[in-house]
Amino acid sequence: MSFQPSQRTPSGEIAINALEIAYAVARIRTGALVEEPVANELGALLEGLAATLPDLFGTVDPSCLERLSDRSGGSEGAGTFAEILVISPKHTHVIQRLAQRPGFALLAVSPASGSIGLVLTAVRNQSERLVVGS
Amino acid sequence: MGESSRLLPSIHAGPGLIASVLRLLAFIDELPAGATGVLRFGEEGIILLDSRKICWAVARTMRIRLTDILRNQSTPPLAREAVEDIYRKCKVNGRPMGESLVASGLVSELGLRAALFKHNGEAIAQLARANATPDHFTAHARTSYDPKYSFSPCEVLATLGSLDDPARATAAQLELGTTLVQECSGAAFARSDSVSGALVIAVDRSCDVPVQDLVELCNWVSGLFDVARTFDPSACAARATWGGRMALVTWRVKEVGYVSVCSSRAAAARLVSQLGQRAAGGSLMPPRPRDVSA
Repeated sequence: MSFQPSQRTPSGEIAINALEIAYAVARIRTGALVEEPVANELGALLEGLAATLPDLFGTVDPSCLERLSDRSGGSEGAGTFAEILVISPKHTHVIQRLAQRPGFALLAVSPASGSIGLVLTAVRNQSERLVVGS
Repeated sequence: MGESSRLLPSIHAGPGLIASVLRLLAFIDELPAGATGVLRFGEEGIILLDSRKICWAVARTMRIRLTDILRNQSTPPLAREAVEDIYRKCKVNGRPMGESLVASGLVSELGLRAALFKHNGEAIAQLARANATPDHFTAHARTSYDPKYSFSPCEVLATLGSLDDPARATAAQLELGTTLVQECSGAAFARSDSVSGALVIAVDRSCDVPVQDLVELCNWVSGLFDVARTFDPSACAARATWGGRMALVTWRVKEVGYVSVCSSRAAAARLVSQLGQRAAGGSLMPPRPRDVSA
């Protein structure tokens, strides 16, 4: 399966590429999408995914993650999740915290459930493009 | 169920007791990593630790003895005279009783570990029930206990949680054993009337996550599947990464949730790949609504 450049909206927030991945950027604290998603099944999934951001990022104790890192011999002190991947038989969902845009996350949904590695690579590329384009 | 429940503490694990056990085990987790010695609970009992792992526990109110557990886990029970003969020899040569029983061939290593697990779990449950609090820790340079017969606090917590449904806990233990990969340790949990949040029902042998953190992770994962259901009702596995290399991988099989802490991204990737294949093949099933409310 080949990758093609993502089709970006003027602001670069939402796109669908050849791997069939829908993207959106959302605010972590409120779960609000920066732009309206495309009006199809993947767009609806993105809206649903965005709505869960406050729960997913707001309910984990940062000190718990730090203790687990320390205990496994790691020195990195990040007390929050950088990337969350959710798998179902039909879809792969990715939430990636945007390091260059604190408080925002890139969301991606793909029906390619058997190609998790490809989806993650595409999402990371998209995230880098957003950084360059911002 | 009869066979597996013989190896479990006979005490009833209600919500108050599990909260008390959690407090007691959290105290052990908070000791320094190499803590070796005796943790005293006034007149109520002691817990002997080796590098923060539980080697031996005794509570004043305990009615069951290790020799009785060892004798009764065999069918027919071991002859009392044979066990007492070894006990007398141990008194003379100072060798630990359990290890002498293994050396004699009367008990297998697995049998001894199971008996110690039951004994220590029972003692800790009794200490927790008495609301005993640790009042002194005497550090020792070393203990004479073999590390393979020691238990992490989270193993003890899971023992108590397994009482809710021993057959379910055994199946969860098997799932952990067949699914986890190197550099990943994990636990299984379920929802229960016994606790307000997640009830840890099984852990793998290498799991050394502090009990409070383990419960925290299980509760977060439980919430993750709850919210995931709102946008994808068939969501059955997930992975979250933090720091430079840590990852948490989670999956569900019917009403049991599994959580694994991976100390490398490569290990997490192997686990996710395996779970992805199972999800695509339909062998990972999300909970049905009635499973969730159970």
